[in-house]
Amino acid sequence: MRNRALGAAALATLTLAATACGGGSTAPSAAPTGSATAAPADKGGGRLVIWADPNRVKALKPFADQFGTENGVSVEVKEISKDNQQTFLTASQQGSGPDVMVGAHDWIGNLVQNGAIDPVNLTEEQKAAFSGIALKAVTFDGQVYAAPYAVENIALIRNTKLAPDAPATLEDMVAKGKELKEAGKVKEILCLPVAQKGDAFHVYPIFAAGGGSLFGTTPSGDPDPKKVLLGSAESVKAFGRLKELGEKGDGALKTSITNENYVATFAGGRCAFLISGPWAMGDVKKGGISYDITPVPSFEGGKPATPFVGVQSFFVAAKGKNKTLAQEFVANYVTNKDVAKALYDADPRPPALTAALQEVQAADADAGKFMDAGKDGFPMPAIPEMQAVWEPFGIAEAAVVKGGDPAEAAEAAQKTIDGSLKN
Amino acid sequence: MPSDVPEAAKPRRAPRPRREITTAYVVTRIAVLAVTAAILLYAVPPLVAARAWIALAVLGVVTAAIVCLYLTRRLIPAKYLIPGTVFLIAFQVFPILYTVSTAFTNFGDGHRGDKQSAVTAIETGSVRQAPGSPEYTLTAAVRGDELVFLLVDPETRRVQTGSGEGLAPLEGARLGVTGKVLAAPGLTVLTAPQAAARGEEIAALAVPTAGGLIKANGLSRAVEGRAALGYDPACDCVRGDGDTWTADEARGYFVNAGGEHLAQGWQVDVGFDNFARVLTNPTISGYFAGVFGWNVVFALASVVTTFALGMGVALALHHPRMRGTRFYRIALILPYAMPSFAMLLVWRDLFNRDFGLVNQLLGLTVDWMGEPVTARFAVILVNLWLGFPYMFLVTTGALQAIPRELTEAASIDGASPWHAFRKVTLPLLLVALTPLLISSFAFNFNNFNAIQLTSEGGPFPAENPQVGATDLLITYTFRLAFGTGGAQFGFAAAISVFIFAIVALISVVAFRRTRRQEEVYA
Amino acid sequence: MRLALRHVFVLVVCAFALFPIVFVVSAAINPLGTLASTDLLPDGASLANFADLFGSDVYPFGRWFLNSVFIALTASFAGLLLSMSAAYAFSRMRFRGRRVGLLALLLIQMFPQFLAIVTIFIIFTKVTELYPAFGFDTSWGLVLLYLGAALGVNTWLMKGFLDTVPKELDEAATVDGATHAQIFWRVIMPLVTPILAVTAMLAFIGIMSEFIIASVFLRDPASKTLAVGMYGMIAGDQRNANFGMFAAATLLTAIPTVGVFLWLQKYIVSGLTSGAVKG
Repeated sequence: MRNRALGAAALATLTLAATACGGGSTAPSAAPTGSATAAPADKGGGRLVIWADPNRVKALKPFADQFGTENGVSVEVKEISKDNQQTFLTASQQGSGPDVMVGAHDWIGNLVQNGAIDPVNLTEEQKAAFSGIALKAVTFDGQVYAAPYAVENIALIRNTKLAPDAPATLEDMVAKGKELKEAGKVKEILCLPVAQKGDAFHVYPIFAAGGGSLFGTTPSGDPDPKKVLLGSAESVKAFGRLKELGEKGDGALKTSITNENYVATFAGGRCAFLISGPWAMGDVKKGGISYDITPVPSFEGGKPATPFVGVQSFFVAAKGKNKTLAQEFVANYVTNKDVAKALYDADPRPPALTAALQEVQAADADAGKFMDAGKDGFPMPAIPEMQAVWEPFGIAEAAVVKGGDPAEAAEAAQKTIDGSLKN
Repeated sequence: MPSDVPEAAKPRRAPRPRREITTAYVVTRIAVLAVTAAILLYAVPPLVAARAWIALAVLGVVTAAIVCLYLTRRLIPAKYLIPGTVFLIAFQVFPILYTVSTAFTNFGDGHRGDKQSAVTAIETGSVRQAPGSPEYTLTAAVRGDELVFLLVDPETRRVQTGSGEGLAPLEGARLGVTGKVLAAPGLTVLTAPQAAARGEEIAALAVPTAGGLIKANGLSRAVEGRAALGYDPACDCVRGDGDTWTADEARGYFVNAGGEHLAQGWQVDVGFDNFARVLTNPTISGYFAGVFGWNVVFALASVVTTFALGMGVALALHHPRMRGTRFYRIALILPYAMPSFAMLLVWRDLFNRDFGLVNQLLGLTVDWMGEPVTARFAVILVNLWLGFPYMFLVTTGALQAIPRELTEAASIDGASPWHAFRKVTLPLLLVALTPLLISSFAFNFNNFNAIQLTSEGGPFPAENPQVGATDLLITYTFRLAFGTGGAQFGFAAAISVFIFAIVALISVVAFRRTRRQEEVYA
Repeated sequence: MRLALRHVFVLVVCAFALFPIVFVVSAAINPLGTLASTDLLPDGASLANFADLFGSDVYPFGRWFLNSVFIALTASFAGLLLSMSAAYAFSRMRFRGRRVGLLALLLIQMFPQFLAIVTIFIIFTKVTELYPAFGFDTSWGLVLLYLGAALGVNTWLMKGFLDTVPKELDEAATVDGATHAQIFWRVIMPLVTPILAVTAMLAFIGIMSEFIIASVFLRDPASKTLAVGMYGMIAGDQRNANFGMFAAATLLTAIPTVGVFLWLQKYIVSGLTSGAVKG
């Protein structure tokens, strides 16, 4: 009897395992607690599914509904809050992804190598309506892969009560910050997140001002993943500048200033200078301080302090069930000014459409100021190799900020990146 | 009895002593059949509609097996084990088997799909608008049953029909302000909802032209484009742009003579390559001993501290004259009732040097997460906070099972309370809890979140950004697998297999030692 | 141990347990609360964050709350039945493969499950097409998924407990002519209420705070659970802006857990020995 018990169990489990592993046409069908009514599966057809992050779902909803009404289709906006890019890739591959995905332009390289998105065909007229940097950001390998809708980059935000004049150089800024700190008016010289693992995105303008660079460039002007320059002499010098600003130097950069506290400290008036982007403005306004936004200054006689520029975009999923509708939505619908403005109202980031930006600027000067600060910015490299750079770069930054040797940190970062790109 | 038992389930060996057919017996059998019927009624029609015959057959076999199992009076252990096992296999064993199977492939970013999808993506991605071609305004229409495009050149407002055969001029069409066709002789113009419903057909229609193909771009525009790259099955290669990329089935890429590959790749079997990479990777092998040592310390310390503290308070509250236990118990389980991801982030900020409450309350300026020793202490402390309520709950439950007479007898015999605890309470507790302690060890051994959300593996020495002081095996190896140009699932799967082997080995050794204990009390 | 000493010890541990939670409370009633507040005392006390939470048109908090409680209650109750049955078989019956089965249960839990997300998509893409009532974005689908973990550690916990219940009890019942089912329901179950209550509690809490699987499974804002919805509140760069509301939500999340605990507490501490006498 024991044998048979085991045999039966084994049989049942094997068949179940076979069901589950079969993937393709089979499904684990033994759902023993099933009692709900059977509804016929919706076979797509007139249905458009959009995935977005939690911030944007609400803003998209009315426009999605309007699009649905105009075209006689149902539109669903779903909210993904964790690992959006990977979730999109996995779901797409298995056939339950969306038709349209909302995300940042620097995903493009990875999405393309996975065949997850289709190019978006914009007319010349449509292309001309976008700001140059937005269009450049969504162009990968000579092909436009997304419809951009918002451009974001960091800038220097200062408390005009504490620091009435925009500093001309980083040295001026640090001097002013130190002066205020010694006078007991502020707690920190500069609010720029470093944290224990560094923050490559926020420190990049200062790194660039010090002469550092990440990649060489290809003849066509794109970043060249084969030429990582983090360990170059110029970059070591730039890390040296970061060290001077760091905990053993001026004390302007500190690992205790993190993404969680840097905006709050500025908004609480305990810091005269903040380096952040449009997403910080909600908190800054809530803090009720008077402020102004200017480009991040460079060192005296240094290189331009170019920030990274990120572009929020709409993608057409290559494995979507309804690509025609998706193309229609992305290429012909969200590229219109009203949608761009509504998205701005929901989450104030400067629109990528020049016409929308101009309207927004009339009501809110901040958008234009951020745009100005980023006009010479460096679109975040969309190449997949960039993934290998962020973390080692950040750790090298944190190491020098804590007083580590710049040459050693730069060399270690370069070695790590080279090693992982070789694999 | 035999009347309601299917033939297959009839006892073949010497039957057990017969029992009466009670009402409960009949009711449970009817219930089994009713539930089965309900499940089949629910599950079968969609499978038939989807023509999923294999799934249907499996469903039938599994259902029959389960029905037999519950109709017969034999196979009693299986009756109790099968319900949970079904779910265990579908949602725990299957993922494990799948993970192990991917360890032998290059599954990961750039290699997620099959070759056909890669070819499609390469061709689609290389489509360029034909130079100088108009951007047509598109209206979808039907001629008889056939879907056709009505294409309007916005500059000349000339109308053409486009079908699988090519372009043909169309006269007499009426245009709207947007340039869309409102009506055309001999054709039924589709309204927007009608066109939207036929989205797949519209996407599939390609109108051949001299310069390439005209394809729909949404519902209202169409462009003439040409794929710069094309796959040629004869040479198993992709050609175009004056270059040739040949399929490399070992790597899952199309590679040209210069060794450059196209971005889109596909999934291929790589044998034991991933395992070899784990063993030969200089970062993994170079730091393995140190990380492994700390990993064991972390897991052991987590188990010992949570168990000691949880058991300590459970014992303290386990006293007949203890007052306020209800309040205490609620306070003690609160850490466990909070979403742990949130509390890990809160703790990280509490340990901030300049902004954190810990330093502020203690009047210190310690860079907790910035120094190896303090960072290790901090992550263990946070893990203690997160984990001790679990041990507290479990021990509280287990303490109820120990007859108070036993401990009382010990104290009457003159044993000190500590002695009574050591000799009576603790051994009895350990009988019930040792397996939990082992599984808690295993859980903490791979406690990715506890590290990732607090110290992120740091602090890192300046000369090595790959291995931090609080890194566990799973955090530093996964950094290698996921931090380099996308996720490398195959590599991570191989790493998982190794880590599993290590944890399982430790656990099995520990488990063997409990065997004798169990036989005593079982 | 003297009673006073016990109180002192427990109070110290309670202080440790509550320390970060006080910080969260402070953030929840602080109208300007951020994750970075350095002060335990809020800048002002108000229930604005709670009002925002319930008045929010972005976050259907009430729905999340109901979803969570429904899923946690259903899955923990069903899971309890599954694991209790298995524990009964493992503790009371001797069959081939028993030892291996037990060990397998322990080992399965140890495998790093990072690819589970991929397999969820493989399985539920099909389920969603065939049986939408159990597909993505449904509470029932998630309940099924959670039942996969039901056997896991809980079977061990309950088996360890059952092993301490004297076998003579069920042997006596067998002699009286009781079937295995009767013994299971009428003899064993009443005896092990403390551990049933503890396991139910553990399962309930575990499901209430689970978000890694739920976050890919539930995408409709209205279908989300508290943990998923709340994770969305502080995802990305909204972390600071929403922290006050998030802290308020965290506190409210604890309410069902505490409620379930209060309900189960009397079973947890009822004591096996008294039950045994009754049995």
